[in-house]
Amino acid sequence: MRFPTRSVLPGVLAVTLLAAGSAACTYRNAPGPAAGQASAAQRSGGGADLVDGSKTKVALVPGGAHPYFQPWKTAGAVAKKTYGLGDVTFDETAEWDQQKQNNLLSTLAARGYNAFGIFGVSPTDINTTFADLKSQGFPVASLGSCPAGSTDEADFCLSTDVELAAYKAAKAAIDAMGGKGTLVHLTGNNVDANTQLRIKGVARAVKESDGEVKLLQTVTDIDTDLQTAQKAVSDLMAAKGGQITGIVATAYNPAVAADDAVKSSGSKAKVIAIDDDAKILSGIKQGTVTATVVQNPVGQAEIGTWALALLQTKQCTVRDPGVKVDSGSFVVTKANVDGYDKARQAKTAELKTEFADKYLSCG
Amino acid sequence: MTTSVSPPETVPAQERTAGHRMPFWVNQRLGLLVLVIALSMLFGVLRPAFLDQRLVLFPLLRDVATLTVVALAQMVALSVGHMNLAVGRMAAFGAMFAGIGYDRLHLPMQAGLLLCLAAGAAIGAVTGWLIARTGVSSFVVTLAMDFALLGLVSLMYSGLTEDAAFTTRPAGIDALRSYSLADICVGPLCGSPAVPQLAQFTVFAMLGLGFLYGCTRIGRELLLTGAIPAAAELSGIPTGRRVLLAHTLSGLLAALAGFMAAAGTGTFRASIGDDFMLPSFLGAVLGGTLLTGGVVSVLGTLLGTALVGVIRKGLDLLGVGLESLNIYLGCILLLALSADRIRTVVSYRKVVRST
Repeated sequence: MRFPTRSVLPGVLAVTLLAAGSAACTYRNAPGPAAGQASAAQRSGGGADLVDGSKTKVALVPGGAHPYFQPWKTAGAVAKKTYGLGDVTFDETAEWDQQKQNNLLSTLAARGYNAFGIFGVSPTDINTTFADLKSQGFPVASLGSCPAGSTDEADFCLSTDVELAAYKAAKAAIDAMGGKGTLVHLTGNNVDANTQLRIKGVARAVKESDGEVKLLQTVTDIDTDLQTAQKAVSDLMAAKGGQITGIVATAYNPAVAADDAVKSSGSKAKVIAIDDDAKILSGIKQGTVTATVVQNPVGQAEIGTWALALLQTKQCTVRDPGVKVDSGSFVVTKANVDGYDKARQAKTAELKTEFADKYLSCG
Repeated sequence: MTTSVSPPETVPAQERTAGHRMPFWVNQRLGLLVLVIALSMLFGVLRPAFLDQRLVLFPLLRDVATLTVVALAQMVALSVGHMNLAVGRMAAFGAMFAGIGYDRLHLPMQAGLLLCLAAGAAIGAVTGWLIARTGVSSFVVTLAMDFALLGLVSLMYSGLTEDAAFTTRPAGIDALRSYSLADICVGPLCGSPAVPQLAQFTVFAMLGLGFLYGCTRIGRELLLTGAIPAAAELSGIPTGRRVLLAHTLSGLLAALAGFMAAAGTGTFRASIGDDFMLPSFLGAVLGGTLLTGGVVSVLGTLLGTALVGVIRKGLDLLGVGLESLNIYLGCILLLALSADRIRTVVSYRKVVRST
């Protein structure tokens, strides 16, 4: 094949054209838009008790459809009724695509929603989205997941501390294993900042065992659906089932798959799952799942909606914008499987007090 | 801006010999344009917020601009009768190089963009070379490339970054994301806040491809290679090199789309392009590009992508839930395409009756 001069030339031409076009890339000679946000909060009294939320329309927007977010729907509806809000909607049509989520948020703003509780699809990109919404004068809460890095452009982040939750899960597994053995970590999308935090949390717990516990493998990218997770876990059990004495699953589908695999293979491995899906709770009751780390999605939606309404009505401001608040995570075992929800409700009540006293400044 | 080496299949031979022309309203591009405008008006009437320039039209057009470039990347591969299943990963691959350029080499935005385009073109060229040299179907080669790049891109992000994304943003990229024509004024007259400045890349890409397919010999050779490869070969067209060129351009455009997606959302991350494959085919095929090669439509690709974007945005505004969104989207697309087909058949019958 001769050097493809005629083939390469148009390519070079195209690159040159694009580069020339983007030499300046953006132009601005018009004055910048006026800042949408009111300069100072107009205090209307009433402390942290919402005085009038009838004009507040809150949108709760998860990254996509996932069982974890289902409690948001009911918690949002309850909050609407309790605080007399204009509306609370739950929209899960972002399909785990940041661009689609950005589009959805602007559409919701056009539909009249004026406060947003968001689980960002991409933890590294979501700050841009938050900044966009804030610049238009909307209060924004990062719910269920905080942006990656130290900056949070949202008014506040109310989320599970994912690294801490993974650490707690790994600790529970190591305890159940008797402080020694071989552990496997099953988790979600490897190229996700939250997954990296979970991996760190588990690694920290393993390190603290002083070499008694060995992390055999971290299996990532198996939270896409249950089938993928089941295949990966059954392959793992077939290949290394004899060596594994503990399994920590820090994502929903691998947790269910690990429960199934242990049940069907008769393995003695201790399984630590995540969340409180009915399957996992029944696994705990039957003894195939040793423990599960339960998060607090109801508290995130309920407290998030209430705090957003206080910010939207300008009744309160955030003392330290971008503050990160842990919504709580609880280790549930056979011993407390029937009563853990009370602890979770108590945490939600505690969060409300904390917000009123520590994080919000109300007139 | 439709180019083909043979008359479109919708124009029967007898009609051509009889010297009768199909009425102008049978033109597929015109049909799509009418559909896009009619649907926009319908959604505008149902939800006046649809016409909100800042909150609805600006993000819609930014999305359409990016996805049109993705569809153009597919269109170029389709023009030689091939397909590029790795279009999304090539976008991620190109964007990764831009990210490395900004994060590690501290390049200015334009230099990072050039690096991104060069990486995309290079991976496209490798794909094209493999197809041309081995004769293996483009389906197989690009599928294999998709898997290879999926692993490579994930591995590099995991190895090079803490949060699986390059978060360094060069000067000017935020402006690229948020500026519209409203930021350009001539005296008291400013442009529309609905048109994003990011769309400049789409316009450049469309002009470039329109020129290539409409005005150059190489463009015609690409189409002939797609339509009848054996005839092209016998006519002295270096089909191997044309295949190489098509895939190089496809990779380059995919990388450009990756850059635009990263600029639009904020950071350069591995998941860029995950959802590019279906829209790439949808936009190109709706616009009139043939899956079998030989016929492309640059303008149609824009209109096809815009049609899907408008339907989705309208349904979002109507508050259609997740369960129904894709059903409605599918039904409206089917109706739209059926209407197009009915229009063609009705016009054909009219022409036949008149002869």
